[in-house]
Amino acid sequence: MSAESWKFAPAYELPCWPFVAPPDLGSGARIRYPVVIAGGGLAGLTLACDLALRGVRAVLLDEDDTVGVRGASSRGICYAQKSLEIFDRLGLYERIRDKGITWSVGRTFSGADEIYAFNLDDESQSEQPPFINLQQFYLEWFLVERILEIGGTDVRWKSRVATVENGADGVVVEVQTPAGAYSLECDWFIDATGANSRIRDAMGLQTHASRGTDRWCISDVRFKVPFAVERWTWIDAPFNEGRAVWQHLMADDVWRLDYQMGGDADPEAISKPEVAGARLRQQLGPGVEFEFVWIGPYGYRDHLLETFRVGRTMFIGDAAHVVSPFGARGGNNGIQDAANLGWKLALVLEEQAGDALLDSYHVERYEAAAENLKVTSRTSRFLAPRSAAEHRIRRAVTALARRHEFARRLSNTGRMAQANDYSPSPWSGAGARSVQNIAFDDTTLMRCLGGGTRFLGFVVDAGPALEGLAQLGARWPVAFHAIDTASPLAAHLGVSAGDVVLVRPDAYVAARLRADDPVSVEAALRAALSRDEPTGAPGAAA
Amino acid sequence: MKTHANIPDADGFYEAWLSAHEGLSDEQSTDLDARLVLLLANQVGDQAVLLDCIAEARRTAVPPAALSVAKPT
Repeated sequence: MSAESWKFAPAYELPCWPFVAPPDLGSGARIRYPVVIAGGGLAGLTLACDLALRGVRAVLLDEDDTVGVRGASSRGICYAQKSLEIFDRLGLYERIRDKGITWSVGRTFSGADEIYAFNLDDESQSEQPPFINLQQFYLEWFLVERILEIGGTDVRWKSRVATVENGADGVVVEVQTPAGAYSLECDWFIDATGANSRIRDAMGLQTHASRGTDRWCISDVRFKVPFAVERWTWIDAPFNEGRAVWQHLMADDVWRLDYQMGGDADPEAISKPEVAGARLRQQLGPGVEFEFVWIGPYGYRDHLLETFRVGRTMFIGDAAHVVSPFGARGGNNGIQDAANLGWKLALVLEEQAGDALLDSYHVERYEAAAENLKVTSRTSRFLAPRSAAEHRIRRAVTALARRHEFARRLSNTGRMAQANDYSPSPWSGAGARSVQNIAFDDTTLMRCLGGGTRFLGFVVDAGPALEGLAQLGARWPVAFHAIDTASPLAAHLGVSAGDVVLVRPDAYVAARLRADDPVSVEAALRAALSRDEPTGAPGAAA
Repeated sequence: MKTHANIPDADGFYEAWLSAHEGLSDEQSTDLDARLVLLLANQVGDQAVLLDCIAEARRTAVPPAALSVAKPT
């Protein structure tokens, strides 16, 4: 075979933000803040942005001065509907949509045959699409700019957390900077420093970490071939020695091609440009010009922290949970951790909710993470059979899937992330389910949820009951809206005349009750906010 | 999970099952059985029954030791 030469695209130019010496340095006195977030990745930035819009003045500490991971290309690429709805509420959705790649169709192939396809649009009524692909550093970049635009957040670059003292009355954090070290204090400390969090490890917390033996190698590549803008996966690609391949487009005409390697593959050998290039040539055929953006070998790892809340410290994103990358259940869940925690912190700080509300962050997001771990482990086992019997069972599935619909459902190259449901709990007796961003009455659910932190009560064909409910708005952070049974929102919620649905600030249904029973509605608010008595003050600016 | 006799023509089913394996290698035979399990599982379509059947199949495996000492009586 004649030697081919391989082109590399120039490295991305990422923005840098300057280190500015904070007032804490050399002030002598230790300053206390309501919230300090360590780590400016997806989860930390989403939380900072969410809190900024809720009027909570947080400090965000990041040890770097840019976004992304130095020396690496994008990590996450797929952003799910629930995340996109959160970004719509935070005011950066349009930027993501304009830069990213919107998609909803996925196809699975065995050899040359398509054996399974799905279209996520079929179940979507949201203003946001099922998925948008975008390099993670773009998303982080947009988040930083949005946080700075909103104002109120103290973003501190080149600031590394050295130690954390998780006290009963406050958390003391020692921070190292290019201009020296200082200590600050906060009511609530959030560890968003990622999978390898030293903060978490220094607290001696159990993560139940494991590493998979399956090896993969990503090639992010730019080429001009009119492949479908869909998620394509091969269980056993003829152009990858019968192993799995993923093919997905992201911004700037960059394709992510992810190849399953042999179990004994040497990461260095499989990521050499000549080896990765030969693999690509097999897939693309002769004559197709391409340039590499990035080549990165990796193996699966996972962990699940036992508790996401330890006193005044909360763990969000990869610091709390890591799963194999199937179905986009990593970054999206970090984003959704942040959206789950943001409103709870804001209401506890405003004394609109009891401290115990923060326990619900652990309960709900641990449940979501455990579910994601289960789902991704099943995919991982389908893609890397561990024995002759597992190979045989997978062969049976792919053989039958060529002919029969029922077997297609068993082929598992990843179950795409959806907003997780929450089980019945002290905060929500019937459990909590996510509500899509429905357009209704010239507005959308996300627009109704913007501007202040409060529950929304949707009253269907309200009648005189609305007046009784409206009085609750004077004592609890809740605002009631009348909708009629013909409204798309009523249809989506599955409610009928005389019902009232309480929707939480993170667009989850907290309770579904009867509008003429304000006592039960108040009891539901009391439970949902972990607060025995109303405060007498209305919620944040409505 | 039903454990009473529910196959109308048991001997006929047994014969058809054996016939399906005729002329196949061991690997082809075990593959056929795996496909057969999937097709039958979809006919059952009841998660609890399927899990009961899996557990019962696992429980009734004859240990290799028992096979080696078994003698006709």
